[in-house]
Amino acid sequence: MSYGDALQSLENLLESFLERAVAAKEERLRVLSGVSRLDDIAHTTKDGGDITESLGEWFAEHNSWLSGDGLRPADALRINEILTEIREGLTTSADTSPALDKLGSEIDRWGQRATSTAQKLVLKRGPETPTEPAEGSIALFDRVLKRVANLYADSSGSRQHILSALDDSLESAKEQKSKDALLLSAFIIYYLKLNNYLVDPYVKRLKEAESVIKSEKRHA
Amino acid sequence: MLNQSEKSYCEALLALKHKDYRVAANHFDAAALHFKDNREFNLLKETTNLLLTVKAERQELDSKDKIEIEEVFSYGQEENLR
Repeated sequence: MSYGDALQSLENLLESFLERAVAAKEERLRVLSGVSRLDDIAHTTKDGGDITESLGEWFAEHNSWLSGDGLRPADALRINEILTEIREGLTTSADTSPALDKLGSEIDRWGQRATSTAQKLVLKRGPETPTEPAEGSIALFDRVLKRVANLYADSSGSRQHILSALDDSLESAKEQKSKDALLLSAFIIYYLKLNNYLVDPYVKRLKEAESVIKSEKRHA
Repeated sequence: MLNQSEKSYCEALLALKHKDYRVAANHFDAAALHFKDNREFNLLKETTNLLLTVKAERQELDSKDKIEIEEVFSYGQEENLR
């Protein structure tokens, strides 16, 4: 494939993607486009321009929205807000004509529709409760940390090397099914790993101790 | 009233629908600040920009490939062809 062919292929791919992406948003785009056009009409009213024709066309084109299809409540409210602004502009305007009167009543009809479809969202929550779980976990971990530190102080006091302390700790974890000893062992192993010790045999023993503790918990 | 950036995004999508990629890119640029954290917006914007770059590159490539043939006449007589 030549460079030109590759470019052509990429161009086709990108165009196809954009086409599909827009097609997927077609309905939404139709609504947004309608709202945007109505907004432009509102700006024209503010600037004192004549909106009789453009607003009439807008109503004719989007009449199906009044039946409620394809319009989200939020969109309906938005449209109503813009129409209200237009209505205010029409009210303050000195010009009156049958056409403007008709547009006024059409705006009122849309306003009624928006009111009838507006949904009120009520958020409820239970009474305030202290955030015990978060505080509880902090306090719990704090206690575990202290127990593990004490355990280490006991096992390391009479030892010359940390590996001996680890050996004791793993033994306690496995034989006494001590979760604290298991945590201490894991902590020491990780510390040793970070300091380039070979920890594989200890990891194996740690996993064995862990499965013993888990099995004990299941049978409890 | 609608936010101007929202209107620009909407205009950009409409331009994409009509395959006016340059116009779409301009509208995307106008709305970029407001939608800078919107992933879908960014994807469409960047794809449009990439497409324009690819089109420009292709156009340049095509223009290089063209062979210009010019007939030269002197005093109404064909002299040469180059």
